[in-house]
Amino acid sequence: MARPKILVVDDDPDLVRALRLRLRANNYEVTTATDGYTAIAAAQKERPALIILDLGLPVGDGFVVLDRLQTIDSLSSIPIIVLSARDPQSNEERALKAGAAAFFQKPADNDELMNVIRVSLSPGQQQQMAPWPS
Amino acid sequence: MDQPTTQVLLIEDNPGDADLVRLRLVEGKSPVNVNCVNRLADGLAALSKELPSVVLLDLNLPDSHGAETFRRVLEHSPNVPVVVLSGQDDEALAAKAIHQGAQDYLIKGNISSKHLERAIRYAVERQALLRALEVTQKQQLEFKNQFLSHVSHELRTPLTCIHQYVTLLLDGLAGPLVPDQGDHLKTVLKSVNQLHAMIRDLLEATRAESGKLRVEPRCIALGELMQQTVAMLRPTANEKQIGLEIGLDQRLPLVHADPDRVLEVLINLVDNAIKFTPPEGAVMLQASMVEADPDSVYVAVSDTGRGISPEAKTLIFERLYQDGDSIDNNRSGLGLGLFICKEIVKLHQGRIWVSSEPGQGSIFTFTLPVYSLAKLLAPVVIYQNQLRPSFVLVRVELTPLTSPPRGNWKETWRQCLETLRHCVYLDKDLVLPPMGAAGTAETFYVVASTDLQQSGVMTARIREQLERVMDLQSKCTVTISAVPIELPAAQAGESLERQVQTLAECVSEMILKNMDRKQFCVPKAPGSN
Repeated sequence: MARPKILVVDDDPDLVRALRLRLRANNYEVTTATDGYTAIAAAQKERPALIILDLGLPVGDGFVVLDRLQTIDSLSSIPIIVLSARDPQSNEERALKAGAAAFFQKPADNDELMNVIRVSLSPGQQQQMAPWPS
Repeated sequence: MDQPTTQVLLIEDNPGDADLVRLRLVEGKSPVNVNCVNRLADGLAALSKELPSVVLLDLNLPDSHGAETFRRVLEHSPNVPVVVLSGQDDEALAAKAIHQGAQDYLIKGNISSKHLERAIRYAVERQALLRALEVTQKQQLEFKNQFLSHVSHELRTPLTCIHQYVTLLLDGLAGPLVPDQGDHLKTVLKSVNQLHAMIRDLLEATRAESGKLRVEPRCIALGELMQQTVAMLRPTANEKQIGLEIGLDQRLPLVHADPDRVLEVLINLVDNAIKFTPPEGAVMLQASMVEADPDSVYVAVSDTGRGISPEAKTLIFERLYQDGDSIDNNRSGLGLGLFICKEIVKLHQGRIWVSSEPGQGSIFTFTLPVYSLAKLLAPVVIYQNQLRPSFVLVRVELTPLTSPPRGNWKETWRQCLETLRHCVYLDKDLVLPPMGAAGTAETFYVVASTDLQQSGVMTARIREQLERVMDLQSKCTVTISAVPIELPAAQAGESLERQVQTLAECVSEMILKNMDRKQFCVPKAPGSN
């Protein structure tokens, strides 16, 4: 079975390298982008199963990327995990409202992060939404 | 040269004195416009209409005397300079007024026009200076807090890098480790976690100071949080061979508090206790009620440590206070812990204090409000001195579709709670604070002052509004139900307070029974109180 592909968007090369090592060890394939503009292009080209997104990016910050991704039909259903140094008190709600599935503040607990990735990618999550009770 | 006209408000009831002052004012070199009133009430009314450049105030008026007069003017218009006109025998009183904020005082019968003019000018300048100082102070505080936020944000990047690579190595992702290497890396990780805690504390303390710290009170059982604290800190205590115990009053009521924040306070206090207690000492965490204060729960953390000196006792709750040498010098942190505890307790309308003598250990105590449904219900269920005619209990249950829940569950239920609050009439319906620590599957209750039929309107509105909460359908199912609250008939002469209490008891019973759509509250048999 093909390994799920994760797109990591962050301009900190050290962090990206460490994250790539860890994700690969957990059996994920990794592709990267270092700014907002190339992030969208990469998402369209690579069709990742999940995106890990930093907020403080050059050329269009994370929120711009979030908004843009929501407007592109083929990309709007990709789960996005925001991984940012910014303070959750003012940013988490905004990120979740903009479509992110989760918000982690750096440095994130590795186990928790891996867990949320795993859950977001598990087959049950891709199901159609449950109907409203009448 | 054109000078601006000084608007003077003269509040003086003695006509002779008033005329004299008016004369002196007009004699002066600069143009003045005098408005004279002879009662405090009229003075305050004039201040409400238009602010003068200065107020000349006689302290003894028909409708107010002495220091009270000045206090009321200050309260009403804190930014207007006031010059007190005092009689010969009232100099002490006038001086007191200066202490409380008046700019100057003049003794009647001794006022020359030059004198008066100078006093007014001085008062106006001084007030302007004070206000500029206030603005500067506010700006500086704002700047300092922004700076600290910025710094703590910047520090995270290199910290994250260290954390990432150390954990990479420890998890064997760069090859196997020799045992010593593992140990050394674990030591590094301990420091990384310490740094992380310091940055968090810094940000939290900054937020507390700018008033941006938030608490989300729920209805919680303290015992659980205390046990959590002890479980977390037992390894640290064991390392130092310090005994760690809990003492819980058997029938401790639920408290109305934010579980995450209270946990923070508990951890801070117990961790401190361990830090400042020598090996083979003991730390005890206790919660109890105090007869003289039935509305609060008292939580105490006591230790057999070195104790605190009287001078330090007043300072330890301030920011950045560090005691000279803690028993473990390498675990000192930033010294913000107690400051943050104090702020959190304050936000819960509680108190925190310490009793301690050097060499005799310390006891840190704080209070939290008891959860009282009756107290929360009273304002909404009483109308025109009577209990409203009928009530319905609405239940909204959120069940996540997956386990663990998708996305940020805490954020999801918090948004739902917010939405729920917007669906009710705040003056007649009450959204109960959530029960228990936030887990999965949240249930919210609303006590609505309505009947079952009308409640349909509310439940429909709730459903419609929740549907709009982002992506809710993909995360959880929502079940909404409503059941009328059956109250026993009010007994003759029963106080309103007692009726509200009965309502609260009935609601609590219904909730505890985990009611479903078909269940009805069994009314108490009359007279069976």
